[in-house]
Amino acid sequence: MSLNLGNIIFKPTDQYHLNDISLNFEYGKMYTILGRTLSGKTTLLKTIAGLQTPDSGDIEFDGKDFLAIPVWERNVAMVYQQFINYPHLNVKQNIEFPLKQRKMDENLIEKEVSDAIQKVGLKGFESRKIQELSGGQQQRVALARSLAKKAKILLLDEPLVNLDYKLREGLREEFKKLFTGSEASQSIFIYASTDPLEAMQLNGDIIVIDEGKILQTGSAKEVFENPANAKVAEITNDPAMNLNKGKIENNKLILNNNIQFNLPGNLQTMSSGDYLVGIRATDLHLDNNGFDFKVDISEISGSETFLHLHNQDIKCVATIEEVKSYEVDENVKINFDLSKIYLFKESGELHYSPYNN
Amino acid sequence: MPKLYTFLKYFCVILWSCFVIAPFLWAISTSFKDFNSVTGGATYIPWLQFEPTLDGWSVLFKPGSQGGINIIGPYFNSVFVTFTASFISIALGTLAAYALSRYTFKAGFVQNNDITFFFISQRIMPPVVLSIPFFIFLSTLGLLDSLAGLILVYIVLLMPIAVWIMVDFFNRVPKEIDETALIDGCNPFQAFFKVVLPNSIPGMIVAGLFCIIFGWIDFFFAFILTFTNVQLLPVKIVALNSSITPWWSLSAAALVSVAPLIVVAFVVERFLSKGNLSGALK
Amino acid sequence: MAKIELTHIAHSYNPNDLNPIFALKEMSLSWADGGRYALLGPSGCGKTTMLNIMSGLVTPSHGKVMFDQKDVTRTITEERNIAQVFQFPVIYGTMSVYENLAFPLKCRQTPDDQIDKKVKEVAEILNLQDFLHNRAKGLTADQKQLISLGRGLVREDVAAILMDEPLTVIDPDLKFRLRRKLKEINAKYKTTLIYVTHDQNEAMTFADNIIVMDEGEVVQAGSPKDLFERPQTTFVGYFIGSPAMNLYECKVINSNQVSVGSNNFSVQTNLDSTNTSNLKLGIRSEYITVEQTSGPNTIHADIIEVEDFGNYKLITAQQDLIRIKAKVKREQEAPSEKVFLQFPAEHCCVYADNKLI
Repeated sequence: MSLNLGNIIFKPTDQYHLNDISLNFEYGKMYTILGRTLSGKTTLLKTIAGLQTPDSGDIEFDGKDFLAIPVWERNVAMVYQQFINYPHLNVKQNIEFPLKQRKMDENLIEKEVSDAIQKVGLKGFESRKIQELSGGQQQRVALARSLAKKAKILLLDEPLVNLDYKLREGLREEFKKLFTGSEASQSIFIYASTDPLEAMQLNGDIIVIDEGKILQTGSAKEVFENPANAKVAEITNDPAMNLNKGKIENNKLILNNNIQFNLPGNLQTMSSGDYLVGIRATDLHLDNNGFDFKVDISEISGSETFLHLHNQDIKCVATIEEVKSYEVDENVKINFDLSKIYLFKESGELHYSPYNN
Repeated sequence: MPKLYTFLKYFCVILWSCFVIAPFLWAISTSFKDFNSVTGGATYIPWLQFEPTLDGWSVLFKPGSQGGINIIGPYFNSVFVTFTASFISIALGTLAAYALSRYTFKAGFVQNNDITFFFISQRIMPPVVLSIPFFIFLSTLGLLDSLAGLILVYIVLLMPIAVWIMVDFFNRVPKEIDETALIDGCNPFQAFFKVVLPNSIPGMIVAGLFCIIFGWIDFFFAFILTFTNVQLLPVKIVALNSSITPWWSLSAAALVSVAPLIVVAFVVERFLSKGNLSGALK
Repeated sequence: MAKIELTHIAHSYNPNDLNPIFALKEMSLSWADGGRYALLGPSGCGKTTMLNIMSGLVTPSHGKVMFDQKDVTRTITEERNIAQVFQFPVIYGTMSVYENLAFPLKCRQTPDDQIDKKVKEVAEILNLQDFLHNRAKGLTADQKQLISLGRGLVREDVAAILMDEPLTVIDPDLKFRLRRKLKEINAKYKTTLIYVTHDQNEAMTFADNIIVMDEGEVVQAGSPKDLFERPQTTFVGYFIGSPAMNLYECKVINSNQVSVGSNNFSVQTNLDSTNTSNLKLGIRSEYITVEQTSGPNTIHADIIEVEDFGNYKLITAQQDLIRIKAKVKREQEAPSEKVFLQFPAEHCCVYADNKLI
């Protein structure tokens, strides 16, 4: 029993919004659609919901042709980025709405609604008007309404992106708990996000999308450790993975005149040639025996510092595990953790990954 | 300093209120006067400066045979025509506005905005331009001098107002609300009636007000398109005029015709101030 | 450029009531010329009110605003010579980009050749030089925001540039480039830049001096490093850093020991003069280490969850009612059931009545 998308194409203007998408979703699982803004995530969610009809392709759900079923009969639920609730109804009425529409039994409605309110932590707010609530609370109401429906497919389109930073952190944890309960096995959860950290925290299967095309699907661990190509490596890391042109020659890994390494053990079997060398920001360290880099700018995030560096034409970002300000053009010495190097072919495909050889 | 400011504030408001109420007070006082009180010199306060009579008022209720005009019939005609035409205009106009707001129309270079403008442009034309076409139109249909004919004409005149106001209102309700309603199990009609419409009540009330006012005060089309069978209030009141202008009955007539509008205004204002119209969306 | 001082400022929207509610509680602050400041705090903390008081859009109900020793509390905004950039682009749609940028200078009757020079300079910094003669209305949201920013920068003599969450509508890639540009501009022109935000990352990256606000009060002011390592209040500990600081109720055992539940921890603070029972021990997840055996300052807890964030792992462990979050390297081996976690004494903070001792 699952949701299958086959060769979906959606091209409303002269650009593809969805370019030959085929995906398979199973019950009881959490899927994160990870991609940049305008990569097609929202369009994909809306197509599954039925709010947009693809130009060609088919969607099959539980063996039935989904495309033949209109939106209001599809039994899906969607939570938007902008907090969408019915403004003329109070919290309780908002959550009841889909259940009343379905003409469910009154007592059953009462039970489901109070369950949902409990789950999202809004007990006591039942008779409040939507306009009186804060952003976070409004989003919880939208979530409660989706949960109360017990829809088979629950779609979430970057639901936390418009909330305060700290609120986002808290709600993300709550989401995780909500989507892995025992009842969760009855539904498919699809969560769209631009933030790789969010995708990792949700720990479901990741679907990487860019410019309407699916670049890779796999478990969070798999996609993180073995990105299928350089583009995926960029999208699934924050800061983006450092990618620089380099070559293997005469048993050395060469990035530029200044930065060269003796070929480490794990790369001995690699043939000579030009490559795109990838290394994560966390795998670059401050090291007095390292190479000289000039600081372009330092960025501080909560608990660590990101240094944007360059050495001639080689640019990279290093994550330093402390909070420290660096001045522009300051010199620092950086070394590479060679056991974590990735090699991509010049076309971008993954050639060597430190986790899978 | 602040005290002076407050005093000035209240003073200006009271001054302006007097300015606004004065004509009404004048009309009320004039309606109780007779010929001499009006022509002799300016008189204001009843019993002190002149002897109030009910002449002006009684003329409005006497039938023509006794030298008066009976406004009761025309009064109800006006009410019926205005409210029916307004109601239908709003019903149709709101549906049209919703379509214009939510769906994309394109025929050649004509798009949604052009269609909306086309509706609004109907109100820009001077009414005189429409007089002959409407006359011929109703005559062909056999609806001259009939309530149905007049209602038809008023719908044509009032619907653009409804469309104009409601398109703007619907544009302010995010499309995502309709989508959520669809996802929650409503078909498009239910989505419109259960979700979008309740959030557009302020707009409908404003549109309603405009329609009622413009419909009620219309003299031109009522004059041209009705004669004996159907008489509307504005036309009937004009019939009061004779060689001697009867200021007293005219004042009474004016008050009587403005009264419903004032009642509507008060009712809506009470409704407004109760906060029922706070359909504000975040 | 000017030194801005706020003396005994307080603001209430109903100052004449018996119990006025203060949006901004009484405080005195001074802003050195040429500095880079951030006003950081959750929604509703008063930071926008503070900004508006400085720019003149709001007159404070109490206190004085001084620019270079001159009292400007009652001076209108135009005469204060302040540039303010808002969250959403404010541009003159019908004018070209050039005209938009030139507008503030034209208003001050600057000679044309100077205007030209300045506009071209600023356009180059913001990468808008190719768009100078396009109509402002036709640009993307972030380009429009750049114009807003540019209008603030063309005036060399502004006392300060005040920015109210200006990068909210900007794409993440561009955000980083813009933050860097702002730093460069500050370095070049030495204009005081004051940046209001609720995002700690933005604040810490941008400013050298961060003023944390909560509920109308300044809670702590300092460098990003200070705020991270030694948060003055539990609120700052919660607000800065991701995840928030771990906080536990504790009791004094002797001058440098506290007990949390059945565990004893040594701290480097002298606890002799504490006389309150509201005591909390704070330690950041980044500083907690995983040990193999029991030892000083070590707690033995059950593992609840280990989350893989790609660049690091977050271990959530619990002992009785004590819940600990520890941030460790991805390679760190985490035992499956129980773990020894050490709280290094030098990083432990003790809070009495929510204030750091």
